[in-house]
Amino acid sequence: MIGQVKKPIEEILEYLEGKKKVVIYGCGGCATVFHTGGEPEVNEMRSILTENGKDVLAAISPPFGEFTCYAPWSKKRMSGYKEQVKDCDAIVMLCCGDGLQVVREYILENDFGLNKSIYPGTNSVGHMGGGPSLFREKCIQCGECELGKLCGICPMTQCAKGLLNGPCGGTRKDGKCEVNPDNDCAWVLIYKRLKELGELDKMREIIQPKDWSKMQRPRSLEVEPLSLE
Amino acid sequence: MTKSLREILGSDKFITTAEVGPVKGTNVQKMVDHITLLKDKVDALNVTDNQSAVMRYPSLGTCLLIMEQDGEPVFQITCRDRNRLSIQADLLFAFSRGIENVLCLTGDSLKMGDHPEAKPVYDIDSVQLIQLVHTLNSGKDFSGNSLDGEVDFCIGASATPSADPIEPQLIKYEKKLKAGIDFVQTQAVYDLDELERFVNYSRNINKSVKILAGIVLLVSAGMAKWMNENIPGIFVPQNLIDELAEVPKGEGLSKGIEIAGNLIKRIKDEKICDGVHIMAIGKEEKVPDILQVAGILKG
Repeated sequence: MIGQVKKPIEEILEYLEGKKKVVIYGCGGCATVFHTGGEPEVNEMRSILTENGKDVLAAISPPFGEFTCYAPWSKKRMSGYKEQVKDCDAIVMLCCGDGLQVVREYILENDFGLNKSIYPGTNSVGHMGGGPSLFREKCIQCGECELGKLCGICPMTQCAKGLLNGPCGGTRKDGKCEVNPDNDCAWVLIYKRLKELGELDKMREIIQPKDWSKMQRPRSLEVEPLSLE
Repeated sequence: MTKSLREILGSDKFITTAEVGPVKGTNVQKMVDHITLLKDKVDALNVTDNQSAVMRYPSLGTCLLIMEQDGEPVFQITCRDRNRLSIQADLLFAFSRGIENVLCLTGDSLKMGDHPEAKPVYDIDSVQLIQLVHTLNSGKDFSGNSLDGEVDFCIGASATPSADPIEPQLIKYEKKLKAGIDFVQTQAVYDLDELERFVNYSRNINKSVKILAGIVLLVSAGMAKWMNENIPGIFVPQNLIDELAEVPKGEGLSKGIEIAGNLIKRIKDEKICDGVHIMAIGKEEKVPDILQVAGILKG
């Protein structure tokens, strides 16, 4: 999931300076889980913007499971609000940056033929797993998964320096990371796990330099469309 | 310095190197003074690379200052601030100007330094950096293209004998040995039994790699305690802290010089390892005094 936190309301109000009529659009996916763009947050944003003199034309909260970043869904959802979107001065997106840009490009520009101001209400902070309350970043989407060599622990994500061949000198006595003592040293975790698995020799193999071209942005994928019926 | 570090590593001489810490700014005179003071008293001068992630005069530039003073530099390169292109370009430049020793390091986290907002690089890690230097030494760049004009670097790495837990560190060190190094310079060591265990471990894998024990000059009991609490991989035993605590105020530095000198003397006399690397951190002018206590420099 895309971990996210709310933006300070002052920043959002600054974006909306001079804009009167606003549409709010949340997300039934990650933003609902992270409490940044589910129904309660969409309603909260409506109240705040109303209190600040905005005219909220629509406050859209998709049901849990409906991801705003998936264009077929957001297209379907937004089709019910075409008039409000046409009429508004700005749209506030309570979702990750993917969702915002999908709506801007696929829905507003391509579908509605509109060039509207659109602003983020959240900051995305990483590809995370876990929950229901604590989430941790687990994957940097490097394009060439090394977990098979590393007993299911990714040092590119878990290690503060992303080191592929073992720990730096900054491992603390308690096995925590010098950079952030709240975090375990990825390489102590890998060491312990490989030892338990009886595969410590894997840690002795030099991992070759990463092919970072696999992370050359922007990446894209072409897939067989999913049937929504 | 009349001999190269490589020649000295190949001899039976007890090796001594010292660290030169670049200044923040362009006022290089203090460094030049340290270089001229130390260049004939130690076998090589080792230059830190934006040490502790604090932006300073470059390691490479300081190595050139050492060359200008007819000294023998060791160019420290970390993986934090440069990608593989930039590292290779700096290495080509270094070699073309006579800098032949390189110490391959990971680099302290940016969070520890004075530009915590910067983007860290770590395109490669210290093991891969050793591989990179070997590749250059073989006449190719890291993508396999031929070089017009070759390099031949003497390669060093670091290790942490007092790390706790030690096993993951030793496995990484094994990789450095496997990648191929000429010498290793350790993190500060004060417990010589720990040093000896590390030396045995290293020599069991590769006898020819020369081992330089890291000696950090202590200046007070407070500094020793602070390092114990804050720097992973450094452990100052209580008896040394007590020794520092017992001296009258203002004499901590003299005591520290005595401790460092005596450690070096024991390492040399008992042939625990092949040499020492002295890190006097801001007190470089005291290195001759340390060497004198160690019996290496005749006063």
